Amino acid sequence: MKTLSLRNLGKTYFDPYAGAHVTAVHDVSLDVEPGEFISVVGPSGCGKTTILNMIAGFIPYSKGDILLDGKPVHGPGPERGVVFQSFALFPWKTVLDNVGFGPKMRGVPKAERDRIAREYLALAGLSHAAHRYPNELSGGMQQRVGVVRALANNPDVLLMDEPFASVDAQTRMTLQEELTRIWQERKPTVIFITHDVAEAVFLANRVVVLSKGRVLDEIAVDLPRPRVWDDLVRDDHFKQLSARVLQMVRAA
Amino acid sequence: MNLMLQIWAGYARLTRRWPGIAAVIPFIPVLALWTAVSEAGLFPRAFFPGPADVVRAFFTLTYKGILPDYLQDSLIRLATGAAVGMALGIPLGVLIGTSRWAHRICWPVLLFFQAIGDIAWLPILLIWFGFGLTTMTFVIVYTVLFPVVLNTVLGVESVPRDLARAALSLGASRARVLWEVTLPGALPNIITGLRNGLGYGWRALIAVEMIVGTSGIGFMMFDARRAGSTVEILLGMIILGLLWYIVDAWILAPLERATGQRWGLVTS
Repeated sequence: MKTLSLRNLGKTYFDPYAGAHVTAVHDVSLDVEPGEFISVVGPSGCGKTTILNMIAGFIPYSKGDILLDGKPVHGPGPERGVVFQSFALFPWKTVLDNVGFGPKMRGVPKAERDRIAREYLALAGLSHAAHRYPNELSGGMQQRVGVVRALANNPDVLLMDEPFASVDAQTRMTLQEELTRIWQERKPTVIFITHDVAEAVFLANRVVVLSKGRVLDEIAVDLPRPRVWDDLVRDDHFKQLSARVLQMVRAA
Repeated sequence: MNLMLQIWAGYARLTRRWPGIAAVIPFIPVLALWTAVSEAGLFPRAFFPGPADVVRAFFTLTYKGILPDYLQDSLIRLATGAAVGMALGIPLGVLIGTSRWAHRICWPVLLFFQAIGDIAWLPILLIWFGFGLTTMTFVIVYTVLFPVVLNTVLGVESVPRDLARAALSLGASRARVLWEVTLPGALPNIITGLRNGLGYGWRALIAVEMIVGTSGIGFMMFDARRAGSTVEILLGMIILGLLWYIVDAWILAPLERATGQRWGLVTS
């Protein structure tokens, strides 16, 4: 497990249609401890997805540093797993082969990567779907596959970009509860991007509020685990925290 | 009315059991009309032969060994053309689909040459290569190439960006992304391109065989014209249609379905 730190990270790009430079991320510094679950919230256009894409290595950054265990990162790599809003499962591979894709890229033999994939599918309650294709699964099941596919590769950091935004409300709550359960079992380091304040508070140890490409504030979430919605919807402390975060996001 | 419904139900059950029959039945009225017109003696026999004459010609020519030889020649030419067309077209399509620069440079040129139809090349090809296999192969490769390239580009560009990103984040190299994501993602389109290309290629081949051929189905038909043998011309036409039906309905269409629909990339 390694520490991820962002040092004065910034992103400026040239918009040829506007004919001007646009700054999506001004100056973001953040240290993430191993095993920490961080939610990043903010209104649309605050730069949260841009930050995640830079950490993932999908887009280059224009200033500052992204350090993983002290070493700068450039380009995508298996030590930073990504869960996409669009799921991004390979439609021509079975669920088993999707989850086994990371180990396959590392050169793990077929039998061993199937064993790894089955272990992670069991973790998400998906053992029965191993030989199905993604398009045969519901949205919620597809994203469970997306999460365990990233986890099965044992990344140092798990980057999640609004992963539950395109599933229905009930499924979303189930997925959130499952994610907290899996996190407790495996303790991966997670950076979770969302615009949903309740989701951010429910999942995280720490909520980072972004505004116009800067960190506005951070709030520690000291709610006990395991967290389940049935308890937390009535929990005063959860309500207070959510209200505080919401206030900041709306003022952002 | 009840009888009609029963016939309909019988037909539905029959075609579900043997789907091939559904393809044959529409031809029954065509054949019947053809027989009726030829039997009515409106035209001289030699000018408008009936189905029975064509079947007889089929057996005679098969017995003499002419038809199998010509058919083999045509099919080998088509297969060669298709293989070379794919070998050139798929890599070119992937290059144009993945590189913005290759796209900018190649696309206008591609559209320009696409507009110059296969047959339009014949005059200059005949001067360059003469009446022979080179000319024929060139035309078929040329015809197969464009649908394959254009559809491959379309396929490569239709692969969602997040899929390549996901593969990279799972540790895939650029080359592995090409093999594991870009090619399978583009495969349904590539097969569509191949299907179109073979269809155009088959037609172009017959036309070229008529002009430059010394063998092949197209040559057989054109040669029959010289001898005034309408039976053999009709036989050639029927073979063209039948053969294409077999290739398309039994090989290409199932292949297309097996990839695209299975993966949910194509809505059935």
